[in-house]
Amino acid sequence: MSAGPGLESLVDQTISVITNDGRNIVGVLKGFDQATNIILDESHERVYSTKEGVQQLVLGLYIIRGDNISVVGELDEDLDSNLDLSKLRAHPLKPVIH
Amino acid sequence: MLFFSYFKDLVGREVTVELKNDLAIRGTLHSVDQYLNIKLENTRVVDQDKYPHMLSVRNCFIRGSVVRYVQLPPEGVDIELLHDATRREARSG
Amino acid sequence: MLPLSLLKTAQGHPMLVELKNGETYNGHLVNCDTWMNIHLREVICTSKDGDRFWRMPECYIRGNTIKYLRVPDEVIDKVQEETKSRTDRKPPGVGRGRGRGRDDGPGGRAKGIGRGLEEGGPKGQGGGRGRGGPGGKPGGIRGISFFTFIIFYLSNSP
Repeated sequence: MSAGPGLESLVDQTISVITNDGRNIVGVLKGFDQATNIILDESHERVYSTKEGVQQLVLGLYIIRGDNISVVGELDEDLDSNLDLSKLRAHPLKPVIH
Repeated sequence: MLFFSYFKDLVGREVTVELKNDLAIRGTLHSVDQYLNIKLENTRVVDQDKYPHMLSVRNCFIRGSVVRYVQLPPEGVDIELLHDATRREARSG
Repeated sequence: MLPLSLLKTAQGHPMLVELKNGETYNGHLVNCDTWMNIHLREVICTSKDGDRFWRMPECYIRGNTIKYLRVPDEVIDKVQEETKSRTDRKPPGVGRGRGRGRDDGPGGRAKGIGRGLEEGGPKGQGGGRGRGGPGGKPGGIRGISFFTFIIFYLSNSP
């Protein structure tokens, strides 16, 4: 079977994970497996709301179970540093409904 | 295997992937695996004002299990080929 | 590094586990397996809304009910040490490729239990994060896994 879209290329990079319950967690990818379980180091959650800017909560070292993961995005550090999170307002993402 | 092969042929095309949380992500199909996990490049979220959550993401991995639809480019759909492949797959059980 | 290796290394350490139903469990990891089933000791369970708590001496959580695990930062360094000492022990050229299973070294690892009083409770791991609001499934008892249900039963019986 061909390698397909593994997460190898993202190891030790900062990634942005969207979970099935609609959370957005940013951290450094330290490892993963076949089931898309992932290890996130130095992670923090970005909490979106319509009343105030994006709040960041420190989470630390996390193992996120694959079946709770929707999207793993490669965080472009340049784009991200140009974002003014304190001005971003949005509803939290909806949870995935299977 | 049919859909896996089909998506492999689609690599390099622009697609829009709609997720089961209503987020729609458009980008160039980079790769796909047997679980129909999808990697997109040059991504942008279709409604960025409503969903600014991925503004600093250009490449992403989407878990196959959360995909609701993949919107295909019309050129990427060869009906004859799909018919044949479907019959072949049905015969081989 | 594999997520399950990190989890294995976290044996003896405190951790926070959030389940898909929103409950969180704070406790010390006793053991885990390749399905991510885990066995915790000295557990505090917090309800989804973060307003109810249960203390239980131990509990067993089925892997597929887990959303995520929060483990102490230093555990990741331990994995690196362990994998390093493991590869150091092997002769060169052996053990390439991604073998399944794991060797725990001769005699297994010393368990980090009984390390003194500072391990009295779930240190700094916080309780539930109190994200209630939309998205919760209705129907209380249906959202509670069978396992958890048994635990409740056991912990509430005299």
